[in-house]
Formats: sequence, C-alpha cells, structure tokens
Amino acid sequence: MATIGRILLVEDDPKDVELTMTALEEYNLSNEVVVASDGEEALDYLYYRGKFQRRSGENPAVLLLDLKLPKVDGLEVLKTIKSDAKLNMIPVVVLTSSREERDMVSSYRLGVNAYVVKPVDFHEFVNAIKELGVFWAIINEPPPGSVKKK
Amino acid sequence: MTREKPILSRIPSPVQRYGLALLSVAIALGMGLFLLQHDVQGVEFPIFLIAIALTAWYAGVGPSIVALVLAALAFNYYFTEPYYSFYMTRVDIPYYSVFILFALLITWFAAVRRRAERNLMESRDELQRQLAVGKQQASLLDITHDSILVRDTEGVITYWNHGAEELYGWTAEQAIGKNTQELMRTVFPAPFEQIQAELFRNGRWEGELTKRKADERPVTVSSRWSLQRDDNQNPLAILQSENDITERKRREEEIRGLNQQLGKRSTELEGVNKELEAFAYSVSHDLRAPLRHMVGYTELLQKNSASMLDDKGRRYTVMVLEAAKRMGTLIDDLLAFSRISRAETRETMVSLEQLVREVQSEVWQETEGRNVTWKIGALPDLYGDRSMIKLAMVNLISNAVKFTRTRSEPEIEIGCVEKRKDGVVVFVRDNGVGFDMKYVNKLFGVFQRLHRTEEFEGTGIGLATVQRIIHRHGGNVWAEGQVGAGATFYLSLPKP
Repeated sequence: MATIGRILLVEDDPKDVELTMTALEEYNLSNEVVVASDGEEALDYLYYRGKFQRRSGENPAVLLLDLKLPKVDGLEVLKTIKSDAKLNMIPVVVLTSSREERDMVSSYRLGVNAYVVKPVDFHEFVNAIKELGVFWAIINEPPPGSVKKK
Repeated sequence: MTREKPILSRIPSPVQRYGLALLSVAIALGMGLFLLQHDVQGVEFPIFLIAIALTAWYAGVGPSIVALVLAALAFNYYFTEPYYSFYMTRVDIPYYSVFILFALLITWFAAVRRRAERNLMESRDELQRQLAVGKQQASLLDITHDSILVRDTEGVITYWNHGAEELYGWTAEQAIGKNTQELMRTVFPAPFEQIQAELFRNGRWEGELTKRKADERPVTVSSRWSLQRDDNQNPLAILQSENDITERKRREEEIRGLNQQLGKRSTELEGVNKELEAFAYSVSHDLRAPLRHMVGYTELLQKNSASMLDDKGRRYTVMVLEAAKRMGTLIDDLLAFSRISRAETRETMVSLEQLVREVQSEVWQETEGRNVTWKIGALPDLYGDRSMIKLAMVNLISNAVKFTRTRSEPEIEIGCVEKRKDGVVVFVRDNGVGFDMKYVNKLFGVFQRLHRTEEFEGTGIGLATVQRIIHRHGGNVWAEGQVGAGATFYLSLPKP
C-alpha cells in the first residue's frame, strides 16, 4: 500500500463534506481527512490554534479549499498560506461550485496549485474527488514537513 | 465736411489784386473829382485813405503800396496846387508825409489783422476736424452692440451708449449723473474694494456681474473695466464695456445640471451592475451546490438502496436526476448569458472563415454518423471580440445541426449575403424543421422556445445569447423560416 498524505478539507456545507467523504471512502482515502468548516478553522489547524492546539506537528499533504466560506473566505485563506514561508509549500486545490472567471484568476494569482469546479453530475464529482485524492495524497510527493502515513 | 468760407478772404490772383489797387484808386479819384465839381472840398484825402485801406485789406501789402503811390500821385496832380501838375511845394511835404504814414499804418494793421485771422481760421479748422473725429468715435461707441458706460471714480455715470440703453433699459438722459451701483444694484463677485484695488493696480479688471435692469429683471453680464488716468497718474474715469451672458449662464447651468444627472444615473447604473454581478456570483456559487447535493444523494440512493426501491421508485430517482441536470444546464447557460453583458469586450480582427471552421470541428461529434452537407461560402474578416463572436456562431451552427436532426439529407449553409459599406451581413441557413414566422419575435427572447423539450433539447438561451452578443457589437440579428422548410438566421455587424 502506498503512503497516504493527510488531506485538509475546508468546506462549510456538511452535505458537500459527506459527499466528498463518500467519494474518498471509495478509494480508502478518507481516513486521513481533516475537515475544517470555515476559513478560520482552517487557519487554526495550520497555526495550531483553537481546537487544533494540540494536533500532531506536521502540515497536510494537500488542502482542498472551498472559496465561499463563512468568517474567513477561501481566497483569504489561500493568501495567508501563500504569503507565509512556513506554509507556502503546501499544495492548495481550490474546489468550488463557481465557474466565475474572477475567482479563478484571483486564485491563480495568489499561487493556487489547482482549480477544480465541482461537477453537478455525481459520477463526475466522485471521479474528480477520487483523482484529486489519489494524485495529491498518493502520487504527489509532498513537500518536506507533511504528514504521510505508511 | 464743408469748410465755411471766411468773409474776409484774400483775393487769390495777383492780376486781380493789383487790378483792385488800380480800380480803388481810380474810383476814389473819380469820386474826389466829382465832389470837387460840386464844390465839396477836403474829402478827397479820407476817400483815398479808404481806397488804400480796402486795397490793403483785400489785396495785401504789395497792391496797397501801389495804391498808395498812385493815390499820392493823383492827389498831387488833381487836388494840390498847382492843379494838373506833379509839382510839389515845400508846404505840401508834411502833408504828404502824414498821408503816406497814415496809409502805411493802415496797410500794416491790415496785414497784422490778416495774419491773426488766418491763425484763427487754422485753429478753428483744426478744432472742427478734431470735433468731427471725436463725434465719429462717439457715434461708433454709441452704435456698438456691447453696452458701454463711463463713470468717474465716485461711480457717477458720465457716458451711456445705445447698447447700455438697450441692455439695461435706461436712456442716456436717465442714466447719466446717477451712481452705477445704486442705479443697477450691482452684485460683485468679490468685495468691491478688492475689485477697485485691482483696477487701480492693473488699470483693468474683468469679471461677471449681476445687475438689475430698469424693469427689475436680473441680468448677468461679462464686464471689462479700463481705467483712465490724468497726467499725474491719478484715476480719472472708468470705462465699462459689458455684454449680456444671462442666456449663456443659464445654458451652462442647464448643462451642469444635466451632467450631474448623468453622473447620478451612471452611478446608479454602476450600482445596479454591481448588484447584478453579485447576484450572478451568488447564483453561480449557491444555486449549484444544492443541485449537486440532490444529484449526489439521489445517485447514492440508487447505488446503495436500489434493492429497497421498486420500479416506480427507481424511475422517480431517474426523474429527479434528469430534472437536476437540466437545472444545472439552465444555470450554466444563464450565467454565460449574463456574462456577455458584464464582460468587457476585447475587439480584434477576426477571420470568420477560420472561426467557422473551428466551430465546425467542435460540433463534429453531433454530426457524426449523419450525412450533413456543409456549404460554406466566402466569409469576411470582422472586427470584434473573438470569443463572443465564436459563441454566437457556435449557437447558430449547433442550432442548425440540432434542428436538421430529423432530415435524411441535412444541409447547412453559411455565407455572406452582401458586403455593404457600413458592415457585413452573414447568414446560417438550414433545411431543418424551421419555425412559424408568427413566432419570429419570440425567437430571440430569453427562455423562449418554439419546440417541446422532448423534440429538441435546449434551454432557450442560445439565440438570446446570439442577439446580445451581436447587439453589443452594434449589429443586428433576424431570422426567416417556414415550418418544415428550414430556417435562416442573419446577423449584421457594422464596420469599425
């Protein structure tokens, strides 16, 4: 079995979380998923704050980031990560409902590693999540300092 | 201007002048002899003097000397003893001396008098000339359209031209002698003292003043002041030249008002546009998520709980999925449609021929296995936003492909109707199911469909999108069709 990197899923909609988890489960990728339900929680996780104060000390292998989030939105999270020398190596994949060009442009400008529009079709959605999970958590060699389980 | 003839003008011709000398002496002699005949004695002396004086007056010094000599000779010959002889006794010498002295005196006086008179005439002529120039200037000043008034340093009006009368309504008689500010209740743009100081410093001032006419109506004038100084550089008078700018000011005010309105409108419009954008953004994000959930959970239901569902239940899940997918397509189309209005156009030269070829290869999948005949004529180069024009052509061509589906020999023709001076007209023609011209006005409306979904799928946004794109390029779209006999869609694009 290949090593599996930890996935930080930043998603406020529990249904989306459930469907994403379902998709990941099919490929046994769900065990290493941490869910943050808004931008603040995501940053808490990355900076060991709040409820993540005592978590194990390594960065996730990949961040699946929704853009429309309560409190701190996805673009702000992305900006914080990419402008912090300790975090900017973490691969970030924007996973959003929107096909808005300006979101895409802003994301790439901030240094996003991939931009995925969630397909409405469930099969496509499952495929997309699966491929993302497989690629980033298994195939991709994450930067040093990331959690990767045997 | 005619010059008045002086009463005592000198006779110009020398012959006449010397003739006058001879004549006056002759007449004096005649009169003397005549009076002598009638025993009147002692008057010949003054008569000769008168003759000399007259000659001196009218003929000048030369002829008067001649007259003097002639008179002396005649006097000697006819009136002193011995008569009829030029012989002169010693007793006569003082008598002659007095006569000559007297005559010379008269001549001299006449000459002086004449010179004085001539000087007088000349200065009078000069004065008249100056007066004439002055009068002409004054009348020019009077007839000018601008209103011109002169006031002294106290503000008292000393001159008031016709233009001022026309503008303000007071005649010169009414205005002269009055104080300008009091008469017209002038409102200055700055404190008067400040304006006066500027005038005295620079010798001029100009600005806009508001005044009241004789009929109390307010008037705004553009006023230019020039200061006249006396020889000691003390301010003497101020010339004010003014013209009415009330109407201009009113129009400026009107334009300013309109501009303000326009500014407000465009701000409003900007606000609306922003709202629309926010709306579209929200739709894009929030409307799609629940759809995805519906589809996701329904598929999970199908997959995990299919055994618990009967045929009916399984059909229902299929219906749910179909409806959700259709809504997904609708949202996507609607967003694409609204993006056309929001997006900025990037205009370049576009080869329509190349563009159509691209579109053809994109719809290739849909035409696979169908024997579509393409007739593509010469197509022009256009100036416009390439991606938008392409979207329009994709819509038109895939429509043509779609609506010829029921034909065994589908035919699609793309061409350029005519090259007009002001633009081009391109058409896409098919031999598909066509449409009823009765509904032609509904064709380009959003969500308007002329076919049932079971017959031909679609959201009813394609042609609305085409229309919006072409309108944004300043062109027009229209269509011709017949049920069962195909349709032709035209689009015109203006030359840049």
